Amino acid sequence: MNLKRLRIALWLLVGLVAAGLVVFLWKQAETEQPAFSQTSLGTIGGPFTLTASSGKPFTSAQLNGKPAAVFFGFTHCPDVCPTTLARLTKLRRELGKGDDALSIVFISVDPERDTPAEVDTYMKLYDTPVIGLTGTPAQIDQVKKQYGIFSRKVSQPGGGYSVDHTATVILLDRNGQFSSTISMEEGNEVALDKLRRITA
Amino acid sequence: MLLIPALALLAACGQGGEAKIEVSDAWARPTRGDAPGAVYITIENKGGQDDRLISVMTDHAAMAMVHQTEMSEGVARMRMAGEINVPAESSIKMVPGGTHIMLEGLRTPLKTGDSFPLVLKFRESGEETVSVRVAEADEL
Repeated sequence: MNLKRLRIALWLLVGLVAAGLVVFLWKQAETEQPAFSQTSLGTIGGPFTLTASSGKPFTSAQLNGKPAAVFFGFTHCPDVCPTTLARLTKLRRELGKGDDALSIVFISVDPERDTPAEVDTYMKLYDTPVIGLTGTPAQIDQVKKQYGIFSRKVSQPGGGYSVDHTATVILLDRNGQFSSTISMEEGNEVALDKLRRITA
Repeated sequence: MLLIPALALLAACGQGGEAKIEVSDAWARPTRGDAPGAVYITIENKGGQDDRLISVMTDHAAMAMVHQTEMSEGVARMRMAGEINVPAESSIKMVPGGTHIMLEGLRTPLKTGDSFPLVLKFRESGEETVSVRVAEADEL
């Protein structure tokens, strides 16, 4: 008799826990809808606010609606940064879908030297649109963390400094979701395939 | 009779025993503001002796140094390369993303279409001057 009551009580408890779990998961699914959606591959990306080369605030939402190739660098970088931007502008041209099909975005990892005006003159080297962004050191730290970017200042002999930094290009689809990456060592054919995929 | 091959041998030795440096295809991308520039060159040693690039200078910049971009795990690091060995009968082509000559403290930003002289000092062959062409921003 007692045993039967206990069994019923236990079943009731199981039922309660299950119902609780359903409600909990339901609520979580509701709250886990960030404005700038997360990816199934992890948490690369996320909403950010930086400063455009015009000096005006620039939010990640302004990138939505168009796929983007995002590169982190600095304007005092003579080799890797101009090489990567040159490569991206060339790849976009080879894609043959026009400048509007893909945003090329440069985000500074050297906010101390890279004022919006500095970024603006740097972007004007290219005769094709490139979005140049900078921000406060805190804003840059946040966006670096969101995109898994490493950077570190290194003093140069004879004064000044250079910045070691992740040179991998991050590709976002038109909803701002992480799609894939383009590395320095990767061939242009592979890179073009990835760009075709996000601009399809 | 013996003198002819001996002389020929001597001549060949003389030819092979000297470094013969030729520098070509020197170019840079344009720069803005006070940002440094990067020059890429091709060095050919057509001689039979090894040579070394020991220093670079130009009136156009306060400092010219051979730098090396190293990539590891996606992170680019720029470091001084020191002297560059140019072995006999070999050539070195500097390409973007690798070895380059960094110009720090440019007197004026580099403009597409401009050119300026760059002096390269080699241990064996002495000084070689090359004209650097400033290319388009998207040249690769």
